[in-house]
Amino acid sequence: MEEAILGVRDLSKSFGNHEVLRKIDMEVFPKEIICIVGSSGSGKSTLLRCINRLERQTSGQVLFHGQEVRDVQSEINEYRSKVGMVFQSFNLFDHLTVLDNCMLCTRKVLHLAKDEAFGRAIEHLKQVGMAPFIHAKPSQLSGGQKQRVAIARALCMNPEVLLFDEPTSALDPEMVGEVLTVMRQLASTGLTMVVVTHEMAFARDVSTRTIFMDRGFVVEDAPPQELFQHPKSPRTREFLSRYLEG
Amino acid sequence: MAMAFDFLTITNPQSSLEWMVFLTQKYFSMFVEGTLLTLYISIIGTFLGFALGYVIGVIQDLQVSKVDLLPKRVLVGICKLVASAYVELFRDTPMIVQAMIIYYGIRQVGVDITPVAAGILVTVLNTGAYMAETVRGGIGSIDLGQREGAWAMGMSPLATMLYVVLPQAFRNILPEMANTFLTNLKMTSVLNVIAVQELFMAAKTVGGNYYKYFESYLVIAVIYFVLCFLFNKVFLLVEKWIRGTDDYALAIEYLESE
Ligand SMILES: Nc1ncnc2c1ncn2[C@@H]1O[C@H](COP(=O)(O)OP(=O)(O)OP(=O)(O)O)[C@@H](O)[C@H]1O
Ligand SMILES: [Mg+2]
Repeated sequence: MEEAILGVRDLSKSFGNHEVLRKIDMEVFPKEIICIVGSSGSGKSTLLRCINRLERQTSGQVLFHGQEVRDVQSEINEYRSKVGMVFQSFNLFDHLTVLDNCMLCTRKVLHLAKDEAFGRAIEHLKQVGMAPFIHAKPSQLSGGQKQRVAIARALCMNPEVLLFDEPTSALDPEMVGEVLTVMRQLASTGLTMVVVTHEMAFARDVSTRTIFMDRGFVVEDAPPQELFQHPKSPRTREFLSRYLEG
Repeated sequence: MAMAFDFLTITNPQSSLEWMVFLTQKYFSMFVEGTLLTLYISIIGTFLGFALGYVIGVIQDLQVSKVDLLPKRVLVGICKLVASAYVELFRDTPMIVQAMIIYYGIRQVGVDITPVAAGILVTVLNTGAYMAETVRGGIGSIDLGQREGAWAMGMSPLATMLYVVLPQAFRNILPEMANTFLTNLKMTSVLNVIAVQELFMAAKTVGGNYYKYFESYLVIAVIYFVLCFLFNKVFLLVEKWIRGTDDYALAIEYLESE
């Protein structure tokens, strides 16, 4: 079997005495598309944030190609440049144009030459259909457009895996589709993705593996056909029935 | 020097207005030099003070976490302590007293500092202390998501501060910076206590020569007013320019690629 890009070992996280993640184990292999679903407050965002070190776990490890990601700032920076993240609230740099948003980190972190950074930015902005907007500021874009730019920005780093934390949850319903379309198309390019989402149809159709989390536990981790059609745990069943019917 | 006013030369002033014109003519070069020195001290002092304020403000915003090594935590702790002590000291004492203490203090230890240099130093330190608080507030007003967006792509905390946080904070505190400059322009007047020949000192000297203090101070009041008024207008333009336009052009060369 191929080597996992990411590994999470026995990872727990508490905020004060509130245990948010409990002994999580998971691996992410190349070209996998993992969707993480679960009710609000189950710890999905916290898990992604622990994976890319925006939160520090209480115990356990995060591995990158089998190596523990240590708490040394330079190693964390290096690691993060290879593990992209797309946020629910976009987090585009408000003072920069779309183009500069996509070039800042390739220039300052990867130290690419200007024309190469520009080339990458245009390539990925085209990919998400946002190239005509290179001169716009984030405040001049709709939510769906912002999220597509945020995805392009993350792609410019050529990440080995891209983490998405509810990329469509902050969007008006009519804009959800355009972002999901981009993500489906990304999935077809073989990009490794970990997607926290409430979009069950996306998880069912696009993921290669779906993880159901509840109260800090990974309750079920299975191919989507299995998880959606024959959920093993009663909790999964209850969650799915709420979503698929309601 | 008084040539510019030849057409209304007054030799025997009666009213206050006539006295103002008379004093201005007679001591024209003194008022001009006072104005230039006031501008010189406030411009240099303000800009160096801004730089200091940014450095102190960023230091005050430094965070250490449990994962950092002990020496780093100690060092950051000391820097923060020194920074906040400095800010408190200068915010909680009057500038006029700071001027005296710094000027005479430095002289007392045997350094032959000029009044102007001491004046600039006081202005810098004073501005730095106020600016540090402004910068800290400006940094705090930037959503944490902006930093996380940069961190998540591997940008170091320092680079994130420089390229993401400070440029945005700068825009937000620009009006406050303009305000600080105008305050400094007026506050240089206290530097007359350490014998800096700025505008206030000029008025004091001129007024003393004829016992016409009211008219003499009115002259510099007009000068201060005109300077502040003009600078204020300039800053408003600069702010507008920095905010930029609300329009953007579609890059039509990429339109067909959708
Ligand atoms: N910084 C924090 N401090 C304290 N508690 C936190 C913090 N961040 C998250 N939590 C708590 O941890 C729990 C899990 O939060 P998390 O955001 O990971 O859930 P989630 O599964 O992403 O939910 P949602 O679907 O609403 O986004 C919640 O109960 C939340 O209140
Ligand atoms: Mg969440």
